[in-house]
Amino acid sequence: MKGVVFNILEDMVTERGGLHLWQKVLDKAGVEGGYTAVATYGDEELFEIVGVVVEELGLPAEEVIGAFGVYMFGQLARRYPAFVDNCDDFFSFLESIDSVIHLEVRKLMTETQLPSIECIRQSDTELLINYSSPRKLCILAEGLIYGAAEQYGNKIKIDHPVCMHKSADHCELRVSLTNE
Amino acid sequence: MSDEAELYRRAYERERDARKAAEQVVEDTTRELYRKNQKLEESLKQLKDQQRVLIQNEKLAMLGTLAAGIAHEINNPMAFVHANLESLADYLEPYQELVEKQAAALKLAPQEQAVAREEIARLIESADLEFFQEELPDLMSDTREGLERVREIVGNLRTFARTHSQERRSADLVAGIQSTLKLLNSQFGTDVSVMQSLQPLPLVNCNISELNQVFLNLLVNAGHALEGRKGATISISTRADKKFAYVEIADNGCGMSDAIKEQIFVPFFTTKPVGKGTGMGMSIAYGIIAEHGGEIHVESQEGEGTRFIIKLPIEGSEPSVKDAV
Repeated sequence: MKGVVFNILEDMVTERGGLHLWQKVLDKAGVEGGYTAVATYGDEELFEIVGVVVEELGLPAEEVIGAFGVYMFGQLARRYPAFVDNCDDFFSFLESIDSVIHLEVRKLMTETQLPSIECIRQSDTELLINYSSPRKLCILAEGLIYGAAEQYGNKIKIDHPVCMHKSADHCELRVSLTNE
Repeated sequence: MSDEAELYRRAYERERDARKAAEQVVEDTTRELYRKNQKLEESLKQLKDQQRVLIQNEKLAMLGTLAAGIAHEINNPMAFVHANLESLADYLEPYQELVEKQAAALKLAPQEQAVAREEIARLIESADLEFFQEELPDLMSDTREGLERVREIVGNLRTFARTHSQERRSADLVAGIQSTLKLLNSQFGTDVSVMQSLQPLPLVNCNISELNQVFLNLLVNAGHALEGRKGATISISTRADKKFAYVEIADNGCGMSDAIKEQIFVPFFTTKPVGKGTGMGMSIAYGIIAEHGGEIHVESQEGEGTRFIIKLPIEGSEPSVKDAV
């Protein structure tokens, strides 16, 4: 997992509970801490930390991870505005994740294993995303998609009929634009 | 230490660790970059070496093509130089006899010269030395001219074949074109008329040997395009503006379709049958012109003809590397 994700998690936790909370989380998770955005760390390290964060916040894991996804999108957009600026609308942005954004990530870090994200437009208002990753972070993916929708000023709903956590080999995320 | 201070100390340590980790990434990346750059430079050098070989091979192939024509070119003057010298040889004996007899006669007393005089007159008559006397100046000048031509042809050939030169020097493109044309005199024969409109050009900093190779290539191709064409014409013109020298070589031959026109600078592309032509001439020409900071364009109409336009920066106005980027 790229270090930037750890940095963003740190930002989210310190926003809620200050420096104190983040240091406590790191100590409790038994990790060294000190993550730099440009390096790569083990996925398990992130999961350990997220596990502790969920405990400390006393909220259901799905909620925390989803909220993290939304927050993470905002932070990524702030750090790398070009990717958002390049796409005029929400669906084209989603379509650019695999071909543009992840391409850039691969340039910098060849060992990164990125999720596979395939977008298929179903209609003007519906986009089907086939997500697949050994880390099965589909909830995080959902959070990120909500975050992106907010960025583009769209209201959406996501249906998740097929899921890796339910023995499928990939997840289907159906993103629909709603009109309210 | 207070809890607060301890907290900040912990946080500081982690930040410092993150910073050090980032520095390590920078160092590693820089090292990797350096290594990749080295590899690229090696590859570039290899490519350039290969390109040199290709250019050389193409030149040799070109020379091969010219060889027959040039042999013919040299053969013509040599034929009449030979014939002239044969004539001279025929007349040499009686001429020498004449000079001897005259020298001997001059030694005699005036009253004894009558017989000698008669002998001399008869000699002049029988060997037709008067006629020879008239012809001699022309014989000499024709022979000289013939040998001069051979010398020029050999000189042009040497200029063209010169391989070692990698340097760029100030050169007159018009002189280059003219010497290249001389190499091709026999190639074109009487069926093709070559119209030259060569305006003087400012000096161009270049490898004239390479540019001559380009001109030669275009002219030979023009010759091929004109095979069987009535009223075949090749026109060569030059002009210049403040920054560039332009050389245009045009023919009214078979021309090219748009599909072919698009491909001509592609390496190994050729419309000639197998065994004829390497398909490298135009791509090498393109490369040579590009390396000189110039451009080469082609216009063509199938069935009507083709025109090549070469643009080269004149001395003092070459683009700097900065401009090219």
